[in-house]
Amino acid sequence: MGAIIEVRDFSMRFGDLTVIDHLSFDVLEGETFGLLGSNGSGKTTTIRALLDIYQPTGGSLNIEGHPFNPSQSARLGYLPEERGLYQKESVIDLMTYFGRLKGLSRRDAQAWSMRYLTEVGLPDKARVRLDKLSGGQQQKVQLGVTIMNDPAILILDEPTKGFDPVTRRLLLDLLDRQKARGSTIVFISHQMDEVERLCDRILLLKDGRAEAYGTIPEVQDKYGGRRIRLEFIGDLPASELYTPVVHERNYAELDFGEDTDPDQVLRDLLDAGVRIRSYDLTRISMEEVFLRVYGADAVKEA
Amino acid sequence: MGGHNFRTVVTFEFLRTVTKRRFWVMSLSIPLLLALVVTLTTISSRSQNPTATSTAFAFQYHDASGLVTPQLAKAFGVTPTTDPATAVAAVRAGTLPAFFDIPADVGTAPVQVYGEDVGLIGNSRYDSVAQALVRAAVAQKIGDPRLARLAASGAQVTSTIYNKGAAVSGFASVVLPGIFLVLFYLSIVMLGQQMLNVTLEEKQNRVSEMILTTMSPTTLIIGKVIALVGVGILQALVFSLPVLIARLVAPGTVHIPGLSLSDIPIDPLRIGFGFVIFLFSFAMFAGFLVAIGAVMPTIRDASGAFSAVVVTMFVPLYAVQLVVNEPHALLPTVFTYFPLTAPVTALLRNALGTLSWYEAAIVVVVLAVMSTVMLRVGVRLFQTGSISYTSRVNIREALRRNR
Repeated sequence: MGAIIEVRDFSMRFGDLTVIDHLSFDVLEGETFGLLGSNGSGKTTTIRALLDIYQPTGGSLNIEGHPFNPSQSARLGYLPEERGLYQKESVIDLMTYFGRLKGLSRRDAQAWSMRYLTEVGLPDKARVRLDKLSGGQQQKVQLGVTIMNDPAILILDEPTKGFDPVTRRLLLDLLDRQKARGSTIVFISHQMDEVERLCDRILLLKDGRAEAYGTIPEVQDKYGGRRIRLEFIGDLPASELYTPVVHERNYAELDFGEDTDPDQVLRDLLDAGVRIRSYDLTRISMEEVFLRVYGADAVKEA
Repeated sequence: MGGHNFRTVVTFEFLRTVTKRRFWVMSLSIPLLLALVVTLTTISSRSQNPTATSTAFAFQYHDASGLVTPQLAKAFGVTPTTDPATAVAAVRAGTLPAFFDIPADVGTAPVQVYGEDVGLIGNSRYDSVAQALVRAAVAQKIGDPRLARLAASGAQVTSTIYNKGAAVSGFASVVLPGIFLVLFYLSIVMLGQQMLNVTLEEKQNRVSEMILTTMSPTTLIIGKVIALVGVGILQALVFSLPVLIARLVAPGTVHIPGLSLSDIPIDPLRIGFGFVIFLFSFAMFAGFLVAIGAVMPTIRDASGAFSAVVVTMFVPLYAVQLVVNEPHALLPTVFTYFPLTAPVTALLRNALGTLSWYEAAIVVVVLAVMSTVMLRVGVRLFQTGSISYTSRVNIREALRRNR
């Protein structure tokens, strides 16, 4: 898989404030890529610069080999963090307009819109004005506009923010479908369960710089490596091999580094008289990674 | 793709306006209102123009001048009296509708009219009937109908005025170049607020980012302006419907008093300059509105700046006497070349024929430069400002941030 998005040495300053500082990363064709970070870390700025809404102070941001141009919009679906649609228009007129802007003929745009509205249970709302729809129905229309014409690249900034559970489920199903079709998905989120479930690779931004970049296991390994979850009887001894991050009466989670053999950890516990009822080997969650990188305050803000 | 998107924006923006019921209610209400006013005025003026046979009330009169003959009094259906005091008392008591006391010399003393109160509007009929009675009496005294008409309405005058040896067409020559001043005024009054709304609606609906990934801000803005011009033209056609219908149904009923279409001279140079000045003025105004819409977060915030621009543009009208009588004085000259006041001043002077071709050319250049600059600045501010959803945009920072 080649890189479909290439960001090289990208910097962005607003006045004296440096928001992004020499950032480089690639998004590979067909992968789901997570762009993570606390509020103000520069995620949305990076996406806006990638889509030519902001002009970068330095560096280059390319989609399919060159800076983004609106003529590429036919292959791109974008769901911004701040989102909305023309409230006074009918659903079908609105969707047809965006379809036309994405290069479809009027007839094709209307046909695609009606298929989508039928799929999401809104075929009878086609002629209804958007401001007459419920919040959840408007969100479905917004999603339809984003994935209009099955784009090759989807860029979603906090896609589930403000969505009700039904629309959130619909979004996740649509993403699965788009991924199965080979679309590349760039995903900004604070929902670490979604990130773990959907993303192939991630970039953690902190203060405008790449804090971590790679597959989810690679990033998890960087911030604590592996973990043994243990149900036991007896007293858990102190050891240099591991660090207990959870320690209850008969349950513990022990973190250990890359250099430590987990078999050695279990042998030491048995030697100390601990009766092990069950165990499994896992990695620390992305939520904990987030906590370690940005601190508890940032997690609360997110 | 750019051309396709431009057409798509123009079509979408035009249709979304003209397919709304509110647009047609608003647009049709104005010609209907005009037709109603014209009809009422016509009816009213007919009722205010009484003749001997249309006098709808009986009255007495006392004629010290001897102008009113018994035949005329009979025609008006009125009776003379020799006792003005009794007649006035009868009117006051409500037993006599009206009494007119005509003095010995109607040229120096007024006709005294006494009437029974029939309401503010209705009371005016007494004066009208008194006037009609005296006018008819004077005409009868003169004898010759032509002289009587002359005495009533004065002589017709045809003037030929020369400017450097060439005959000047007078008021008729103002009509065609003056149309552009009227058009400019109407376009600002009718389209200004709408234009401000459309430049803010992407921001207010949080749709800017999605739109800006499908087309350039220039395509969006110019597309919106063109669509609104189309809406304006349609509205103008709707407004002129009553005149068009009247001309078709009853030719000759619609005319400008004292002006025949064949009298209107066609001066291609002044009409051409008028058109070009109007075009660049409108473009500059659109640029200002785009910039205001981009910088301000809400329509409420933008309205103050919008009003300031409109007021500045029409400031020359406060000095219209000076602009008309002394077009080359300092103030009219400043107004002519200062970009914001140039449209109204230059279009007015062009209509009056006091703007020479080289002055008009300078104004065109000033407005062309200013409209280009303002549209470019407006588009650049829009690119940043349209995603600044809650706060005012720092203009310097926004201009520096974007190309």
